[in-house]
Amino acid sequence: MSEERKKELLMKVVDKLATEDEEKEFAEYIKSDSVLEEEYKSFREIKEVTDTIKFKDLPDSYWEGYWNGIYNRLERGIGWIFFSIGAIILLAFGAYHLLMDFFLSETVPLLLKIGVAIGSLGLIILLVSIIREMIFARKHERYKEVRY
Amino acid sequence: MDDRYKECSDETLMELTKNNDTQAFKALVERYGRMAYSLALKLLGDPADAQDLSQEAIIRAYKARKKYDPERPFAAWFKTILINLIRNHVKKGKVRGNYKRRIQAEHNAVGADLAVTPDYILESNRRKESVWAAINKLSIEHREIIVLRHFEDLSYEDIAELLDIPLGSVMSRLYYARKKLKKILGSESE
Repeated sequence: MSEERKKELLMKVVDKLATEDEEKEFAEYIKSDSVLEEEYKSFREIKEVTDTIKFKDLPDSYWEGYWNGIYNRLERGIGWIFFSIGAIILLAFGAYHLLMDFFLSETVPLLLKIGVAIGSLGLIILLVSIIREMIFARKHERYKEVRY
Repeated sequence: MDDRYKECSDETLMELTKNNDTQAFKALVERYGRMAYSLALKLLGDPADAQDLSQEAIIRAYKARKKYDPERPFAAWFKTILINLIRNHVKKGKVRGNYKRRIQAEHNAVGADLAVTPDYILESNRRKESVWAAINKLSIEHREIIVLRHFEDLSYEDIAELLDIPLGSVMSRLYYARKKLKKILGSESE
């Protein structure tokens, strides 16, 4: 018997999903395989214990608040979207004016302006690269959050 | 809840939800909220995490309503969303401190099995507690297959569909999960 077949039969017998023929086949193999027999016994014992584990049901008051919880989460999600958009607009506006004041200023030396311009360009390239990598990683994630 | 929704199948309710009928979706939540919470709790071991993720799964299902294929049973589709969320949550190490502390206590203290008894188990005794603690030590892949088979009582076919793996892999993964469980229990009893 192949190892795969052995595992398959063992699982089916433990879960009481084996057909009569499969049970007979398993019974034959178990006679000459003490490891298989020992595994069968321990797996059955675990199954018997888990069959007796029962979980407490939560009170009805909990479930009354469950729908409200979902509504609140949806509401917070919308709130975060608006907040993020507002923050991005404000930051972009602030950055634009800051840079304009800096670059149009006659008191700031040209070399400093060039240095800041090159540094800013580097920062933008780095940010774009990181964002692109994050998007790529998200698309190729092993466990996608949602499969439709 | 409107009585007319009670008679509707899950798939019909999803079709209504697609047309922005929020009451239809609420009816689905009432049907599946408990199941989602219960499954998340068994997989994560933390009530607060279970509530967060089961609610998040409901929100994701609602957001993805237009993409739902009515040919596929709603229950399986929804459970897939939930399980993938849980996997991601565990993979990112976001399991709450409470659960982490419990597991840590288990590793650190001698004979700490009793200290890790979850308060959501109805009746407990030492054997049940040690089996449950051992299940919580399994990797998420092993834990989910044990939970789906032992506690949700799903068939191999249903598990294969839910986890998107071949039928043979279900039995193979179940075998290794049980073997690992046996090893953990064996090392604890020594």
